[in-house]
Amino acid sequence: MSENNNGLRKQIVRMVYNAKDGHIPSAFSIVDILELLYRKYLRVDPKNPNWPERDYFVLSKGHGCVALYAVLHQCGFLTDQDIDLFCRPGGILGEHPDCTKVPGVEASTGSLGHGFPYAVGLALGLRVKNMVTNKIYVLVGDGECHEGTVWEAANVANNLQLGNLCVVVDWNGSAAQLMPRDDLPAKWRAFGWDTQVVDGHSEAELRVALDRIEFQPYGTPTVIVAKTVKGKGVPMLEGHGIWHHRIPNETEFAQIMEALS
Amino acid sequence: MTNPTPKKIRQQFADTVLEVGKEDPNLVVLIGDISHFILQPFAQACPGRFYNIGICEPTIVSMGAGMAKAGLYPVMHTIAPFLIERSFEQIKLDFCYQGLGGNLVTVGSAFDYANLGCTHHCYDDWALIGALPNTEIVYPASAIEFDTLFRQTYRNPRLTLFRLPEYQHKQAFSANDIHFGKAIKITDGGNLTIVATGPHLQDALDAMAELVSMGWEPEIVYVHTIKPLDTELIRASAHKTQRVLVMEEHVRSGGLGDSVLRAIHDLGNVQFSWIGIPDSFIREYRSYQHHCEALGLSRDGLVRQVQAFAST
Repeated sequence: MSENNNGLRKQIVRMVYNAKDGHIPSAFSIVDILELLYRKYLRVDPKNPNWPERDYFVLSKGHGCVALYAVLHQCGFLTDQDIDLFCRPGGILGEHPDCTKVPGVEASTGSLGHGFPYAVGLALGLRVKNMVTNKIYVLVGDGECHEGTVWEAANVANNLQLGNLCVVVDWNGSAAQLMPRDDLPAKWRAFGWDTQVVDGHSEAELRVALDRIEFQPYGTPTVIVAKTVKGKGVPMLEGHGIWHHRIPNETEFAQIMEALS
Repeated sequence: MTNPTPKKIRQQFADTVLEVGKEDPNLVVLIGDISHFILQPFAQACPGRFYNIGICEPTIVSMGAGMAKAGLYPVMHTIAPFLIERSFEQIKLDFCYQGLGGNLVTVGSAFDYANLGCTHHCYDDWALIGALPNTEIVYPASAIEFDTLFRQTYRNPRLTLFRLPEYQHKQAFSANDIHFGKAIKITDGGNLTIVATGPHLQDALDAMAELVSMGWEPEIVYVHTIKPLDTELIRASAHKTQRVLVMEEHVRSGGLGDSVLRAIHDLGNVQFSWIGIPDSFIREYRSYQHHCEALGLSRDGLVRQVQAFAST
């Protein structure tokens, strides 16, 4: 639940405030999903990030990476120093996730429309190698769903029956700012995916949807269209206004931290 | 020595991946709805490792990177402009930046699909791929070159472009002659180096007698690996002959000519000349051979260009 992740939200705000860089609202809309995935569903080992038996999480919406960093830190993949050096010389954490530097990050993303087809290849590749227990989760943004490669990959994944793949769409309304005819669940159903729509800030609803998935090498891939709020948790950040890439000043920082207390 | 009945390089591609795939369970092939029939033996011999993904080249490249992440050796195959130009960002980010290995195998490069026009031409592929770190470029203009070079490189941790030309030279090589990253000196010469690529090795061979009759002593250096370039052999030849002429089916900027110039720029007193595609689009409808003749990528064009050396 959102209120339970205020500690992560504070971490996100501190990182962005200190670095004077980052996307707070985009991170807030996905942090509840990521926290739940890493706490309950992803089989990963922070001491052995490249463990062959692990599950994979690909953040296709790379600009939400501060949420991923906060969660990876909470899980033990990242140190306090890693967090302190966000966007600073000598650090490994930048404004987009980089798998060549960051333990626990499976793909270097940031250019939208890459991580999902990459994850489709990963899911197919693991199946080719007869690695049938690994699960692949990928999170895409609803704005990212403007990219044609998202739908190329959706079409391919269904035709290949990648039952080891689950997509979560962060449906925070960004896409509808530009194209208000935005029936994302209908689009995913039209591409043949097992489509569930949930409140992306409700652990209960997310768990019902995630528990339903029968991961298997061959089967209909699943998408969870998660209705979220950009900037969720702090009213002054919520919505699609100026805060997308804005850095809080000292007063605003205090206000945001107070709202999360 | 010439090879009178050469096997098509594209057929050799299908035969090679079949043989390699039988031995290596990590070889996978993704295609964009071309070469489907000639790859059926691979598909049948290597079940679950052949995928005709369809007409979605950027996704094919991203998927290939994901499969490399899973520990496989992907081969991605379709027509050059769609695999290279359309999918360039996927190549850059998903393969090269992440340090993943894979193999792009293209047909229809340069103006092989002569009458199909600009949509199906691709004569900037070396410049594009060569600009990216963690890449290699191979241009095999005979079947044995592809077979040998693919086996030497397909498993390495870099992205390798194999540009398969529709046409080939007639020079016969053995596998022992062919080493990735090493050019081949075809003839020993004295006052002229011809750096030939692809099918235009044949133009150089065909021009030999006339050039010799004109008093030239051509040293033909054949380049099948564009990146990394064998600068050592090219520099040694240029140092000896003091004249270098490059023939390539590539646009001027970022092609082999540029690479050769960088390799020899500090030698001093070396004349340089180049035959290729100027800084303009090819717009005319005509056959591959007629395009070559118009561009000077021919035996006669080579002789004319060499004569220009004499007048300078």
